[in-house]
Amino acid sequence: MHRLLDRGLEQLTAMVFNMGKVAEKALAISIDGFVREKDTSGDVHELSEILLSLTVEVEEKAFGLIAKYQPVASDLRIINSYMKIAYDFERYGRYAWDICFIRKRLGGLKDCEEWIPHFIEEMGEKVLQMVRTSINSLKNQDTDLAKAISKTEQEVDEMYFQYLDKLVKEAHVTGQCTTSSVLVVRYLERIADHATYIAEAVVYIATGQKITLR
Amino acid sequence: MTTLRMSNKNGETAVNLEQVRPEAKMQSIALNAWFGSKQALKDINLTVKANAVTAIIGPSGCGKSTFIRCLNRMHELVPNARMSGQVLLDGKNIYSKETDSVQIRRRVGMVFQKPNPFPTMSIYDNVAAGLKLTGTKKGQNLDEIVKKSLQQATLWDEVKDDLKKPGTGISGGQQQRLCIARAIALQPEVILMDEPCSALDPIATAKIEELIVQLKNDYTVVIVTHNMQQAARVSDFTAFMYLGQLVEFDDTTSMFENPKSELTEKYITGKFG
Amino acid sequence: MTNYSLRKFKNQLFFILCAACVIIAIIPLLSILYEVVSRGAPQLSINFLTQKDADGGIGPAIQGTLILIGLTSIIGIPVGVLSGVYLAEFGNNKYAASIRTVNDVLTEFPSIVVGITAFGVVVLGIIGSYSPLAGAVALSFILIPVVARTTEESLKLVPNSVREASLALGVHKWRTTLSVVLPAAKGGLVTGTLLAIARIAGETAPLIMTILGNSYFFQGFSSPMDALPLRIWRDSLQPYANLQAQGWGAALVLILIVLSLNIAVRVASRGRLRR
Repeated sequence: MHRLLDRGLEQLTAMVFNMGKVAEKALAISIDGFVREKDTSGDVHELSEILLSLTVEVEEKAFGLIAKYQPVASDLRIINSYMKIAYDFERYGRYAWDICFIRKRLGGLKDCEEWIPHFIEEMGEKVLQMVRTSINSLKNQDTDLAKAISKTEQEVDEMYFQYLDKLVKEAHVTGQCTTSSVLVVRYLERIADHATYIAEAVVYIATGQKITLR
Repeated sequence: MTTLRMSNKNGETAVNLEQVRPEAKMQSIALNAWFGSKQALKDINLTVKANAVTAIIGPSGCGKSTFIRCLNRMHELVPNARMSGQVLLDGKNIYSKETDSVQIRRRVGMVFQKPNPFPTMSIYDNVAAGLKLTGTKKGQNLDEIVKKSLQQATLWDEVKDDLKKPGTGISGGQQQRLCIARAIALQPEVILMDEPCSALDPIATAKIEELIVQLKNDYTVVIVTHNMQQAARVSDFTAFMYLGQLVEFDDTTSMFENPKSELTEKYITGKFG
Repeated sequence: MTNYSLRKFKNQLFFILCAACVIIAIIPLLSILYEVVSRGAPQLSINFLTQKDADGGIGPAIQGTLILIGLTSIIGIPVGVLSGVYLAEFGNNKYAASIRTVNDVLTEFPSIVVGITAFGVVVLGIIGSYSPLAGAVALSFILIPVVARTTEESLKLVPNSVREASLALGVHKWRTTLSVVLPAAKGGLVTGTLLAIARIAGETAPLIMTILGNSYFFQGFSSPMDALPLRIWRDSLQPYANLQAQGWGAALVLILIVLSLNIAVRVASRGRLRR
């Protein structure tokens, strides 16, 4: 039975999925640019701005649906979660931009020893994989896929602390390299966190259970 | 046939409701009801907790009104109506042979869908009617009781200067509060409300909802409503009925955030076709 | 003729026909009133209204009618009202259905048969002579079914929600009926009763063999008594002009009594409807 609310939900869903697509693109471009020493700040900035305005639209749409239809049960969980997920996508865009900006402002990794760009490339791959997993699990309402994200999340966390430890021990790294790399690694770790939040929201929508996947 | 689960904050507990629950103010056990050959209620096991508001929701014809009319023995007043099973009030079956139905109705009051103040009586007489007509007024200060009941029903301030006005000479929302005051005047233990707001405008409805939330301090309230948001707003526990059966019973927050039965989910989200 | 003007013509024709029928229907009433008033009014005087037959008055007849109305009311109204209460409040079974049918038949009963029955049972049987009581009994036979039916109808007009409200308070059924339902139906009850009384005030056939008629005022419960309908009938059969004139006067008085009862009903209803 097609309810009035369903049309609104379809529109809201389309908006959120669109945000996911844009956010993923922004992150892929940004991380790739950082590792390959390319300036992608123009494109990424544009995508980040799109995400900002889409967040506002999603919020307004969600509030409108709540005010008009007083949704309950699964409808309410979906709308609630989509608002949070939109914020997570906006964060993706923000961090994508931050990564570009670090390269632009501080010069990136060109001064670093060879192992560092490889490390960050590897970590970047893992995080991008998590981002794609989060978006796919949302699209397909796949709670198993969502729950599997916790494994990768732990790996990323491990890599994060590994890097910090290693950096403290290695004395011969330039200040520029240290600052750039630490900030970027930090951003990557935060992106991974947001991917986990999205996966948790997917589980909540489907089951009504609030779990932590960290 | 129907498994009943009571969910509390620590998780789910399956309960065998063939046993009497001590914290229950009222409890129905294997309650069945018929109108002639048509069965209106099928094996209802439900607990009404004391000093709480229990809402009963469900589509038209699901048996909600029939159920609460079994709680104050009004069901049997319909020709060809019969029931089986037990209804316990404070642990005692109200349908036992020694129990006087009239006494039960004094302990379990009722407010109806359409406000029905007595047309030939003034506001004052309406509120006092229960006491006068049941002979429980001896030795009581009627003025005091009328005032207190109207105050509890949040109607006192609006009518205190004109208590002799006919009961039908006030607005619909005020009439309904008058009916509530009339029911309260007898100091019942349980108040049953059969869609009390469905004939009222939104402002009157809001006033009655506020009143219901206050009433639960002194009374146990069971409210039948087809407005789910109203059930979500005022009740502590909600029961969902469908085609004469109790489908789900839970605390209100859980039921409206994450219902356990798919049928419940479909009904409360409006996906019933 | 165009379609429209044809339709208009048909409309007007129909209207004229209906109006004509109404006038034809009213003419008898108007002519009766005219005859009675024009022939009876000259008779009216204090003497006429209060003196007995020999002195040129219809006092005994008026007294008789009033006594009959009183006795019939005492016997008939309680029985009729309570029967109506039974049928409305407790009458959901097959016994009540039969009672209702019998009641409806009785309302249409030929009044002469009622009179003969009362003659046989009361005059010949219980009392042994013509008696105002016999007349009251006969008139009650006519009054009770009518009052029972109108009582039942009035009570049925009281919405069930009012009864439910009372029962839900824990009020016994008899108390509910007495203190909540009857007062609510009061208007209908009064109207129905007054109309029934207006009807029996004019009944003649039942009186012929029960109170017989008398030239003197009330003489006890074992003697014949006069009443307006009887007086009218007897006077009309007399060959004397002055007695016939008396008859017209009596007719006028009777019509005035019936009319005033009807007007009382209208006044009472109007007050109710306005509220």
